[in-house]
Amino acid sequence: MFMNSNLFEPGKSKQEKQFIQLAVKQNQRFDGRRSNECRDVELTFGSDWGTVAVSLNDTKVLAQVTCDMGAPTTSRPYEGKLQLNVSIGGVAFLDEMQSTYDQRFLTLNSQLERTFRSSRCLDLESLCVAAEKHVWCIRVDINVLNHDGNLYDASTIATLAALMHFRRPDVTYANDELRIYTEKERELIPLLFLHYPVSVTYCIYKSNPQPLVDPTLLEENAADSVIVLSFNSYQELCTLNAGGTVPTNVRTIMQCARYAATRCKAIVEFIRKTLALDEERRLQGTGPSQGLLALLGENKHKLSFKQLMEGYQKQDSPTLQDSQMEVDAAQTSEKPNVAEVPVKEEQPIKQETGKLVQDAKPMDTSTWLPQEATNDQELPTPSRVVSLKVGKGKNRAKNKANKKQQQLAKKQNHSDSEEEVTQVI
Amino acid sequence: MSSSGTIVMPGERISAIEEVAKSKRVILGPGLRRLDDTVVASKAGPLRHKEPNTFWVDNYQRRYVPARGDLVLGIVKAKAGDQYRVDIGSADLASISYLSFEAATKKNRPDLNPGDLIYARVLVASADVEPELVCVNSNGKRGKLGQLADGFFFKCSLNLGRVLLRENCPALAALTRRLPYEIAVGVNGRIWLKAHSLRETIALTNAILALEQAGYAEIDKVCDNLEDFLQA
Repeated sequence: MFMNSNLFEPGKSKQEKQFIQLAVKQNQRFDGRRSNECRDVELTFGSDWGTVAVSLNDTKVLAQVTCDMGAPTTSRPYEGKLQLNVSIGGVAFLDEMQSTYDQRFLTLNSQLERTFRSSRCLDLESLCVAAEKHVWCIRVDINVLNHDGNLYDASTIATLAALMHFRRPDVTYANDELRIYTEKERELIPLLFLHYPVSVTYCIYKSNPQPLVDPTLLEENAADSVIVLSFNSYQELCTLNAGGTVPTNVRTIMQCARYAATRCKAIVEFIRKTLALDEERRLQGTGPSQGLLALLGENKHKLSFKQLMEGYQKQDSPTLQDSQMEVDAAQTSEKPNVAEVPVKEEQPIKQETGKLVQDAKPMDTSTWLPQEATNDQELPTPSRVVSLKVGKGKNRAKNKANKKQQQLAKKQNHSDSEEEVTQVI
Repeated sequence: MSSSGTIVMPGERISAIEEVAKSKRVILGPGLRRLDDTVVASKAGPLRHKEPNTFWVDNYQRRYVPARGDLVLGIVKAKAGDQYRVDIGSADLASISYLSFEAATKKNRPDLNPGDLIYARVLVASADVEPELVCVNSNGKRGKLGQLADGFFFKCSLNLGRVLLRENCPALAALTRRLPYEIAVGVNGRIWLKAHSLRETIALTNAILALEQAGYAEIDKVCDNLEDFLQA
C-alpha cells in the first residue's frame, strides 16, 4: 500500500475538513440541501428477479440475489441461510488493501449483517425444505459501483429491495427425492419477511449540534462522528451504530431516531410502490431486457423517490415538525405526553401484524422511546460502537420499564442516568 | 489548435503524422511515441494538432506524472530531517528542502506542519528518483509560491487543471466578472480557491467542477450558465 493511498478521496485533507466544519456551522451544504434533506433515491429493477440498482445521486449500488440448495448448519437444522456479500472493488479511488481491510468497509459489512441477519428480517424457517438435509441458501451480492458517501443507506435499500423483488423456484421433497420446478412448471415464490429494515445515516460535527442526514463522501470524511440507525417499517429500532469522537447528546440521537423512523417507513413504502410498478411492467410483457449500462444510464426504468412519494412527503412534513417541536418541548417540561404520541400510532399497525411482530421479538417502542427521551444529559461515545439488537429487546424492555418508574420518582438525577448509559453500552 | 478529434487507442499506428513527418520535422507530445519509422499512440483519447507541427493525445487522466517545471499543489505529509515530504498526487511522495522557501536559513526555518497546503514548482522529476519541489524562483523570491492558508481545496482531473491554465481559457475570466476570488490551479489536478464568503466559495467550486463534463467547445456555454451556480 502506498503511503498516500487516500490520494483521490475527497475530504481527507486538513483544508477540506476545516472548510466543511465552517460550512456546517453556517448551515451550508455543497449541493444546496438543508441539514435534514435527503438525496433522491432511485431504484432500477433488472430483468432477473432480485436484481436492483440503487442510486443516491452519485452513490450507486447494485444488489443481486441468488439462491441454491444447501445443507443447514447443525445448530439450526430447520432454517435456511442468508448470506450477504459486499464488494467494493468497483470504487476506483480505493486500492486493494483499502477495499478489503479498511475500517469503514468492515463497518459496512457488519452493519448489513446486523440489519438483515441479526434482526431476523427474513423468515428463514420458510426456506427449509427437509429438516437437517435441504434448505435454501439465499445469497445477496452487494456491488458498490460508485462511492459518493452514505454507502450504508444505499446498500441497505439495495439489499432490501433486491430481497423483496426476488422469487425462488418452487420445490417438493418426497421419497428422498428433491424436485425443483422451473418457472414454466410452477410459479416462482417470493420470500417471506418478518419485518422490513432500512437504515438512515447521520453525520455529526463539533461545530454544529444539528446533524446532517444522508452525507456525501466529502461530508462523511470530514465528519467527527457518523451515526447509522436502522428502523423497520413498524418503526422499531433494529441497529444503532454510533462511532466517532463527538460527545453525542441523547437528545440529538433521539431527534435523529424520530426522523429516521419516519424516513425508513417512507422508504419501505416507496420500495413497495416500485415493486408494484415493476410487476405491472412485467405483466405488460415489455420487461426490461437491457444490460447493466442501460440500467444505470438515464432511462424510463428509473423509479425516483421524489416523484413517487411526493404526496407522502407533503403529508409527512407537518407531523415531522410537530414531533421535533415536541422533543424540544420535552427538554424543558417534564415531557409526559410525548410518549403517548408514537405509541398510539403504533397500535393499529401492530394489531394487524401482531403475529409477525411477536416472531421478530421486537423492542417495544413504547418503553424505549420516552425512557431515552428523559435523559438529556450528555452521553459521551468516543470511538465506541453502541449496538442494540432486536433479539435481546424483551428483557431489556422490562428492565427499562422498571427503571423508568424509579427515575420518574427520583426526578432523574445524574448518577441515575449514567447507570442507564452503561447498561445500554 | 485544431481539435480534429479522431480518437486513437494505445498501440494504434498513426499514419497521418508519418505523412507530415516526411516533409518536415514534427513534435510528438504526450501520448505519442516513435518506434523506429512509425508513430504509435501510447494513450487513448482524441488526437490534437497544433500548427505547424505539434501533435499530442488529450487523454483523460487523474494520476499525475511529475514533469520538471510544473506548478503543483501539494499537502505536507511529514517532516523528515531537513526536508518536508509532500503529497502531490504522483506515485511517490515529493520532497522539499527547508531551504527552498523565501528567506529561509538554517536557523530561520519555515513553519509548516503536516496537513498544510503548499503551491510549489517541480525542480527534479525523474522516473528513478523521487520528485523534488521548490517554493522560490532562481532569484530566491517566492512569487506566488508558498503556503496557502484558509480557502477550500479540491481535486479534479488533470485535464480540467490544464484547461483552466490555458492562456485563453474563458472560464476563469467569466467567473471574475461576477465575483472576486483567489485561485491556485496545479497541473496535478488540484485546485485551491478562496472567495470573500463561504457561500461564494461553494458556488465557485461547483461551477468549476461542472466544467469537468464539458468538452473544449462547450466551455463557453457552461460559462454563460455560471450565474446559475452563483445564485444557487
